[in-house]
Amino acid sequence: MLNIFSEAWQALLNFFGPLALVLVVGLVVALTYVQINALFLVWLERKVAGHIQLRIGPKEVGPFGVLQTIVDGVKLLSKELITPRPASWLLFVLSPILVFMPVLVPFVVLPFGENLQIRDLNVGLMLIFAFAGLNVLAILMGGWASNNKYALLGAVRSVAQNVAYEIPLLLSAMSVVIMANSLSLRAIVEAQQGLWFVFVQPVAAVLYLVGATAETNRAPFDIPEAESELVAGFHTEYSGMRFGLFFLAEYTNMFIVASVATTLFFGGWRGPIADGPWWFLAKVYLLIFGVIWVRWTFPRLRFDQLMNLAWKYLIPIALVNLLATALILKLVR
Amino acid sequence: MGVGQYLNDLVTGAWSLASGMGVTVRYMFKPVSTVQYPRERLPLPEAYRGHIELIPHEGGHRCVACGECFRTCPSAVIKVQGFKRQASDHTRARYFFIDYSRCSLCGLCVEVCPEKALRFSREYEQAEVSRYGAVVDLMARLHEGGPS
Amino acid sequence: MLRKTLTDDTFYLNMGPQHPSTHGVLRLLLRLDGERIVECEPVLGYSHRGHEHMAQTKSYLRFMPNPSRMDYLAGLMYNHAYCLALERACGVEAPRRAQYIRLICAELNRIASHLLWFGAYLLDLGGFTPFLYAFDDREDILAILGEVTGSRLTYSYCRFGGVARDLTPAFPQMTRAFIAKLRARLADYDTLVSKNIIFINRTKGIGPISREQARDYALSGPNLRACGIGHDLRRVEPCSVYPDLDFQTVTTNQDAGIGDCYDRYLVRMGEMAQSLDIVEQALELIPEGPIRAKGVPQEPAPPPGDYQFSYESARGLLSIYLVSDGSRVPVRMKWRTPSFSNLSILPLLLPGTLVADTVAILGSLDLVIPEIDR
Repeated sequence: MLNIFSEAWQALLNFFGPLALVLVVGLVVALTYVQINALFLVWLERKVAGHIQLRIGPKEVGPFGVLQTIVDGVKLLSKELITPRPASWLLFVLSPILVFMPVLVPFVVLPFGENLQIRDLNVGLMLIFAFAGLNVLAILMGGWASNNKYALLGAVRSVAQNVAYEIPLLLSAMSVVIMANSLSLRAIVEAQQGLWFVFVQPVAAVLYLVGATAETNRAPFDIPEAESELVAGFHTEYSGMRFGLFFLAEYTNMFIVASVATTLFFGGWRGPIADGPWWFLAKVYLLIFGVIWVRWTFPRLRFDQLMNLAWKYLIPIALVNLLATALILKLVR
Repeated sequence: MGVGQYLNDLVTGAWSLASGMGVTVRYMFKPVSTVQYPRERLPLPEAYRGHIELIPHEGGHRCVACGECFRTCPSAVIKVQGFKRQASDHTRARYFFIDYSRCSLCGLCVEVCPEKALRFSREYEQAEVSRYGAVVDLMARLHEGGPS
Repeated sequence: MLRKTLTDDTFYLNMGPQHPSTHGVLRLLLRLDGERIVECEPVLGYSHRGHEHMAQTKSYLRFMPNPSRMDYLAGLMYNHAYCLALERACGVEAPRRAQYIRLICAELNRIASHLLWFGAYLLDLGGFTPFLYAFDDREDILAILGEVTGSRLTYSYCRFGGVARDLTPAFPQMTRAFIAKLRARLADYDTLVSKNIIFINRTKGIGPISREQARDYALSGPNLRACGIGHDLRRVEPCSVYPDLDFQTVTTNQDAGIGDCYDRYLVRMGEMAQSLDIVEQALELIPEGPIRAKGVPQEPAPPPGDYQFSYESARGLLSIYLVSDGSRVPVRMKWRTPSFSNLSILPLLLPGTLVADTVAILGSLDLVIPEIDR
């Protein structure tokens, strides 16, 4: 038995060379980081929400309550996994796993630092958006398989929303790609040597951030799980760690869209002094703070208004912006 | 819808959102208004109405078991029984129980008491594991000089 | 509607009795076509406690704690209304000071009720933060009322012919500080909510009620005034010391005569500011004197006859109908509570709207379910 594994490993090593090692180590690090990031983000969100709302948020477990999320995680792990009897159990069980798997893939191409990148693909940006699209499928599956009307409504909303918001997201990213002349994330960061793209492409940056908030189902665009209308939306029937996986995926998605925004618009790992991954992380968490701040300020949009916003404002503006960028670049070069 | 209207909507909408975020960020740096309950406590107001208790009076109480309180009580919470040591004595209350789980804290008993023998206690942490735990023996409380 | 079998693409959705935004235990049976509502039927009775029957089995005095439990968000107003009804039936008048104390407390209670509504409504629309700001303000009111009455939710403070306790020396100063604080807060709410484009889009033009519909369905309170009908019992049929005070009825849409969720919101926000003015005036006008009427029997026993008394509660027209045979126990005590009529218009408003609007419309009517069920 062991032989087979070691032979397979050998074959892999021979085939990929040292790349396999990098991939494996990278993914393990990424997986660990995903957990730590989620723990930190949940804590941050609760702390920020607390202070915005004139209270202090978690404070009992650990200094300033930083360990609260771990305790909550343990609670989730110890809970019973309930599968409703009328549910289609295979899809029901598969959905949380499927929602979590794709969020790991973008870590392969995210450039945390000049040399801190698992693999620089020349289609890096495409890879991220492609895998972000898979998310919807899993949510639809989960919502449909639950055999619950609220979950189904949530899932349907989620699909419509994601389809609508991926367009402005891609269009605004496209205008950056035209400027950098590459889909590779590292090349995009390199292209922002002098000036961050946020100053050149402010409209695209705003569009991207709005689209990204909607893409991650965050308030004010959290209509798929709108708790005052749909109880908990697509994950109404999920309990225990299955719910935990949805939760983990949501926070990791937040990190990924913020990382992509940092890479595309805010100069990645570059800073005024001492370039490095710390700048990247600082920018990412600053952006996430902004997203959290937005969530705790606004009421939720209605479903059709959300669509209006996408089709009436975001997409036309993104198109005009893209065309203008292309035209100016053509004239300048 | 003209282009001007379109842009106007966009700008006013964005401005309203930005000013809303201004409000929340201002509140973020205000002092918090919550009190961390088990660690800190709010002072009870003077008028606070807990369940009733007998007022200590010369080593005993003033209750003569006239029964006005249990006749008035809307939820029949009070049980009081008095006795006389001798036929010529005044009746004194010997047993005084309240079933706090049904009490609606209206305070009518305190008001109707002709002897002014009752007052409100200042207790508010009265979680019990069974409903029988909510039955309070006011006589025992009085003699223990329980928390007031 | 319950037993109908569906043959088309529509389906039933049970909203409640356990649902985050049916506030308590209302059950809405919705027939949906996708997200659009075809039909709606409210189902009541999940928190029926039989208060009216209870009234017939106990004396007037012993019924005293019950009215607050009908509408627990405006407990003091119900308490106030009950005492006023009894006093009118028995021909007793409470001393001026007691009347003012009751009025101040009732108006504070109205603000607390509207604040809670404001917070819960924003919660329904998905904005969590205003909810906690509103609770912060409400907490101040509860502290003030706790200072006077000794409890925070169901007060049992008014008595037949007066009030249970006099004001404490700290009360006027606490109240004035609160008035100043809430006025500043209302400006913040304006920026954070009233002018917010998302909020306006969610509420403007949603759930419009015309003047005629409002009359037909006997709406009352802020819901009625939002349709441009300036009917406020504090002005139309003033009780207590309301005639001494100077205030205007808050209405919107005087000319259009049709009120949507946004108008109902504006009316309630306006009423909070108005109640602050009323409390401020009453604090100036309050005389010294006794707080309980002299020579009033402990147990009220109205002379035989029928009595009717109406009161403007936080949610609208509260009306008590009393039949007495001269004894200490009423023969019949009928409570006409505002939310029941306000709810009845819901099946008219909902068809054709989206599920998200259901929540917006339901919230804007400001229903308190135990008050409907009694």
